[in-house]
Amino acid sequence: MSKNKQKTYWRSLNELAKNEEYKKFAEREFPEGASELRDGYTRRNFLQIMGASIALAGFAACRKPVKKIVPHSRMPEYMVPGRALFYATAAPTGSYLTGLLVETNEGRPTKIEGNPDHPSSKGGTNIQHQASVLDMYDPDRSRGIRHNGESSSWNDFLQAANTSLTSSARIAFISEPNSSATLNRIKRQALQKYPNAQWITYAPFSEENQLLGNQIAFGRKLRTLPDISQARVIISFDADFMGTEADSVRNIRAFADGRRMSSAADDINRLYVVESNYSLTGSNADHRLRIKTSQIKPLLRAVVAELSDNFSALSAFRGYSNALRNREWVGILADEIRGNQGSSLVMAGADHDAETHALVAAINDAAGNTTRTVNYAALPFTDEANQHEALAQLVTQMNQGQIDAVVMLGGNPVFTAPANLNFAEALRSVPFSVHLANHVDETSRASVWHINRAHYLEYWGDGYDYTGVPSVIQPMIQPLFDGKSEIEVLGSIVSGETIDAVEEVKSTWRPLLGSGFETKWQTLLHDGMLTGTEFQRASVSLQASGLQSLVQGASDTADDGLELVIKPDPRILDGSLANNGWLQELPDPMTKITWDNVALLSPSTAEKLGISTRRFGQTDVDMLTISANGESFTIAAWVVPGHTDDNITIYAGYGRQGVGRVADGVGQNAYALRTEANPLYTSNIGVTLASGSYDIACVQDHHSMEGRPLVREASLTEYREDPRFAADMVYVPGKKGGAEHPVTLFEAQTFPERQPQWGMAIDLATCIGCGVCTIACQAENNIPVIGKEEVRRGREMHWIRTDRYFSGDERGDAKVVHQPVTCMHCELAPCEQVCPVAATTHSDDGLNQMTYNRCIGTRYCANNCPFKVRRFNFFNYTKEYLTTGDDPEVIQMAMNPDVSIRFRGVMEKCTYCVQRISRGKIDTKLETGNSIKPADGTVKTACQQACPANAITFGDLTDDQSVISVTKRNERNYVMLEELGIRPRTSYLAKIRNTNEQLA
Amino acid sequence: MSQKTTYIPEPELVQGNHTFGSITSLVGDIVETPAPRWWYIAFAVSNLLLGLLLAMLAYLIWEGTGVWGLQNPVGWGWAIVNFVWWVGIGHAGTLISAILFLFRQGWRTAINRFAEAMTIFAVMCAGIFPAVHVGRIWVIYWVFPLPNQMQMWPNFNSPLLWDVFAVSTYFTVSLLFWYVGLVPDLATLRDRVKSKLGKMLYGTFALGWTGGNRQWQHYEKSYLILAGLATPLVLSVHTIVSFDFAVSIIPGWHTTIFPPYFVAGAVFSGFAMVMTLMLITRKIYGLQDIMTINHIEKMNIIILVTGNMVGFAYIMEFFIAWYSGFEYEKFAFVNRAFGPYAWAYWIMFLCNVISPQFFWSKKMRTSITASFILSIVVNIGMWFERFVITVTSLAQDYIPASWGYYSPTWVDILTYVGTFGLFFSNFLLFLRFLPMVAIAEVKMVMPQADPHNYDEDGNELPKESH
Repeated sequence: MSKNKQKTYWRSLNELAKNEEYKKFAEREFPEGASELRDGYTRRNFLQIMGASIALAGFAACRKPVKKIVPHSRMPEYMVPGRALFYATAAPTGSYLTGLLVETNEGRPTKIEGNPDHPSSKGGTNIQHQASVLDMYDPDRSRGIRHNGESSSWNDFLQAANTSLTSSARIAFISEPNSSATLNRIKRQALQKYPNAQWITYAPFSEENQLLGNQIAFGRKLRTLPDISQARVIISFDADFMGTEADSVRNIRAFADGRRMSSAADDINRLYVVESNYSLTGSNADHRLRIKTSQIKPLLRAVVAELSDNFSALSAFRGYSNALRNREWVGILADEIRGNQGSSLVMAGADHDAETHALVAAINDAAGNTTRTVNYAALPFTDEANQHEALAQLVTQMNQGQIDAVVMLGGNPVFTAPANLNFAEALRSVPFSVHLANHVDETSRASVWHINRAHYLEYWGDGYDYTGVPSVIQPMIQPLFDGKSEIEVLGSIVSGETIDAVEEVKSTWRPLLGSGFETKWQTLLHDGMLTGTEFQRASVSLQASGLQSLVQGASDTADDGLELVIKPDPRILDGSLANNGWLQELPDPMTKITWDNVALLSPSTAEKLGISTRRFGQTDVDMLTISANGESFTIAAWVVPGHTDDNITIYAGYGRQGVGRVADGVGQNAYALRTEANPLYTSNIGVTLASGSYDIACVQDHHSMEGRPLVREASLTEYREDPRFAADMVYVPGKKGGAEHPVTLFEAQTFPERQPQWGMAIDLATCIGCGVCTIACQAENNIPVIGKEEVRRGREMHWIRTDRYFSGDERGDAKVVHQPVTCMHCELAPCEQVCPVAATTHSDDGLNQMTYNRCIGTRYCANNCPFKVRRFNFFNYTKEYLTTGDDPEVIQMAMNPDVSIRFRGVMEKCTYCVQRISRGKIDTKLETGNSIKPADGTVKTACQQACPANAITFGDLTDDQSVISVTKRNERNYVMLEELGIRPRTSYLAKIRNTNEQLA
Repeated sequence: MSQKTTYIPEPELVQGNHTFGSITSLVGDIVETPAPRWWYIAFAVSNLLLGLLLAMLAYLIWEGTGVWGLQNPVGWGWAIVNFVWWVGIGHAGTLISAILFLFRQGWRTAINRFAEAMTIFAVMCAGIFPAVHVGRIWVIYWVFPLPNQMQMWPNFNSPLLWDVFAVSTYFTVSLLFWYVGLVPDLATLRDRVKSKLGKMLYGTFALGWTGGNRQWQHYEKSYLILAGLATPLVLSVHTIVSFDFAVSIIPGWHTTIFPPYFVAGAVFSGFAMVMTLMLITRKIYGLQDIMTINHIEKMNIIILVTGNMVGFAYIMEFFIAWYSGFEYEKFAFVNRAFGPYAWAYWIMFLCNVISPQFFWSKKMRTSITASFILSIVVNIGMWFERFVITVTSLAQDYIPASWGYYSPTWVDILTYVGTFGLFFSNFLLFLRFLPMVAIAEVKMVMPQADPHNYDEDGNELPKESH
């Protein structure tokens, strides 16, 4: 393939895209007189280019076939202009992949979906996956190679690398955890070629501790593979497996499947969570123990000691005791583990130390959970050494001038490395440093060379999912800014010339696939994975010496003073996604705060520190000055009911500078307080109330349900006693017996004679409240990002939101419920009746439609909506969003062409993804000739499709056998605000908590 | 009837032993003599405020409704509050002219012209808000049932559409009524003014009035008919404005008591506004003989009555909320009194329910200072009433997760302030160029207009020195 051609081609289209006339051309739809186009771009030429871009995204080897430009006269296979195409690929998150399908429109990837055939996803995604498409179109992404801050070129870099990286050079490669087989193959080549080189895998939040923990327990660095679907009792020690922990999509799905109830007879799993801050996982727990982070390991030891009498494998702990030994929870957890041998699962948070993980592994193994609810696997890409220590050693070497070159493949160690290492300082003393990064970030600015990185939708790559199913990452589009992948950079450094990534990937796979490679390769790309292959499950046995070391070394941290915990952010993780507007504007699942990180603390701690209680409607909050590990900063304080007393938790990843217009200046950099010695928590920190206040944009101002029957819940026992508790909770005037609707004067508006009739059900027993529906909807429906100030003023634009209510004792163990709320498509919609210009009306298939063109913006409909789901364009948000920066066309490419964008002054809201419904109806009509009733399950709303928990059901209510009809016949089905007589089409299935009577 | 009962004649409506001629001069001279310096100052200030209003509206239309403090749960804020408030004020005029006319309340003649003018200007101020509060003002004409090629009609179910008709009809009829009443007086001015331009303009608008017998007959008939037409409008316009709220399903809005309650409130605030303006002008222009203490007292009685009706409605709302058993409604009302907007509620309650109680005392009713202060207090209270209804209901309705606290921006506040510029600019022009008292009608209620020489029993009346 010709490299030059590629480059020219994309440069041309970039130029074209920036060209005013092109804009007019694109807007006009039918070009009149192609001669209007500027020099050289004839109409034919233009179509060729457009055609080529389509072909690029075309089947399988997008890049490879582009040796010639394909004119539109010969239509690429499957390519129908205006129809989206879906390609299988996989998204890398650290050391594992998640299988995805990517929707592309005319060669532009616009929407991420889970690959339903891939076990890591089963069709679901998480918020980071959904938002990743916007990362690719981030106009702030680095667009070129830089040398000492000056613009440079790839060839110059290669030349410099060839000169500086001699075979005897003492090179340090620092990479992010990466499961790519190809990268690891090249890594081995690199370490061979440069015998003095060392390789360090570093990420601020990684699975290293877990691997080391298993090393203590089993003698080997092994990855723990939990199988939640097999567990009846799940005990999480600070493992936010629905949120920030690895492989959340699979785990959420497995957990939710274990909670799904078609009738009261079904059994469901039970989740215990032990944690300090209120995490998403904790909010879904049946029982949650709030405890300081420093006390989690002691608690775990106490549990092991309690179990040691029953399990000889744990006999090393016999007679062990500590301050927590007599806590009620120790006995209860031990009982559950004893009572559910082989069907319980204990998990620990990835950031807890190796000993904690070792204790967890010991419990699981002793309780017979190994091979049932948990497995272990040796990773083909693990480094033997302790990577935390390796990084520290490297920094020392760098400072001593013992390192000639540092090659950083991704990551951002200047920002994220433990503060005491002072990585930036060390990096400056290295003569040759290279940093591959999406943005010209903190590390890039401190390095000699910066290489702009390609997005995973732009490059060829491969890797394994969490359990070892191999996948190939195939590009959907040529790199927008000519970025490079890790494979390309490392491969080119090693080989001394630019490599062809696809060939590298193929050569990794050739031995794996064996004969008939091309066919198998095509199948692999099509399926998105190699089915039937997984990591070899390791057979493990507890090492007595390991356990012994856990008892002997046991020194329990004193439980006094305030502790500071630094955790990855639920949305932007370690901060690498900080420049993503969708993620920044997505309300945090627990605090509902957007665009900031805060110091989370409990009501009692807040009182102790003298923080004033926030009034209703107050957006400016008190600030705290926090000093720990010799550093201090000031950050807004935020009170969370159910948070552990004497604990302050801050999410890392914020406070970035010089990265992009979204990330800059948002929040405070928590890494500044994170050191090698105290990576997770620091005890006895200094906290004082700072003067002044800070504005927070929180989308939910009131946190109590006020006793209203909005989210209806019961314990499993209560549910079994009264299966119809949810529907009967509210007196609905005129509703007799088992009638579907109350008596009404109005004509029945369900249009039973017209088919289909759409409806939705949301299962609150499986919904975990992660918010992926919100981002999926944002991506699907071209919802603009409006910025912190507008959110603070209460003008968030999300069509589907997740309401989060606290219940119980606000100062004690507050409970949480989540409830996604979107337009209910009421049959007797109050909004429709009050619009003076009939801009919102009902469709024949039961949708409450919003006609943007007709809307004059009185906002009467929004006022009259009891669910408050309508969103108003107070300003020209979309225009502002789509024309930000110097290159607005980039972000415009992320738009879904099937959904019109909204002008200022018009109302908008959930449409039940009417564009998908119409597509389904058209397809059905084309297939059948007369029916417009799509087969059940063929139309999926964006929120439904993205939901990893499969909590949303959507479909045709006129079909008695459809999934939605069956779901709505569930006894737990209820309609929110049914007593108003507005007949919402969206209903909820009541939440069930599997409570332990001993704790109730 | 016992012999002891005696007929207590009403106090004379015009005091100071005026003749027809002196009444004409008293009113006409204001228009005919050069304007006093204070008028120019007041007019300049009003014009500045009017300019402010225009600037705020331009800014609003240029930037979008986001410049106001509106947000997700609260889609209507100060704009709608101001609209309802100004429309309410605009109630007094037509009530005085039409209903009191039909009830043969002679005292209305002293203030009806004045009150009608106020009505028209208040409705003008009110009308601005529904027009500019929409997101896309350039298509505001879609609310009118204009035939179009798409056969797209407005939604006749929508109370906002009813509003369009109600307010525009009310404005039209009020304007017509006012103008018809002006015709004889315009003719008087035509005959008196010295300037050529004045003669021409007054002459044009006097429509050739000569004061002939047939003209008076037609005039009286048409005035009566217009009064008959305007009377239901007095009730309908605020009823329909109240439908904007009552027809919705939001707790605190969805209330059947709203139509009478809104009308009472409108009369309440309208009379208060008339009182404020009257007390100033009668002093400045020396019209104490026409607008007497007796007038003030009568108006204060109406303020007392309507104030108590409003107070009754406030309390009844609470009762109904409790009686309905509907938890959302109960919450809405308890929350009004004790929630985050309690301050607004209690300002409203104090101003509208407590303050008029002073008028039980005759001393207070006939005190000019008390009347002036309370008339302003009442209008502050009525503004807050609309604020309480509009904002508190929206801010905290069914779903607690959506609740939000609304506060205005500087644009909201300055736009409201600016409407006073529009109102007073118009009002000052009215004072300057039109007879602020209905000269012809006042004459009709003077003793001279009823030249009986004998009382009911046929006894000759004692001669008065006219």
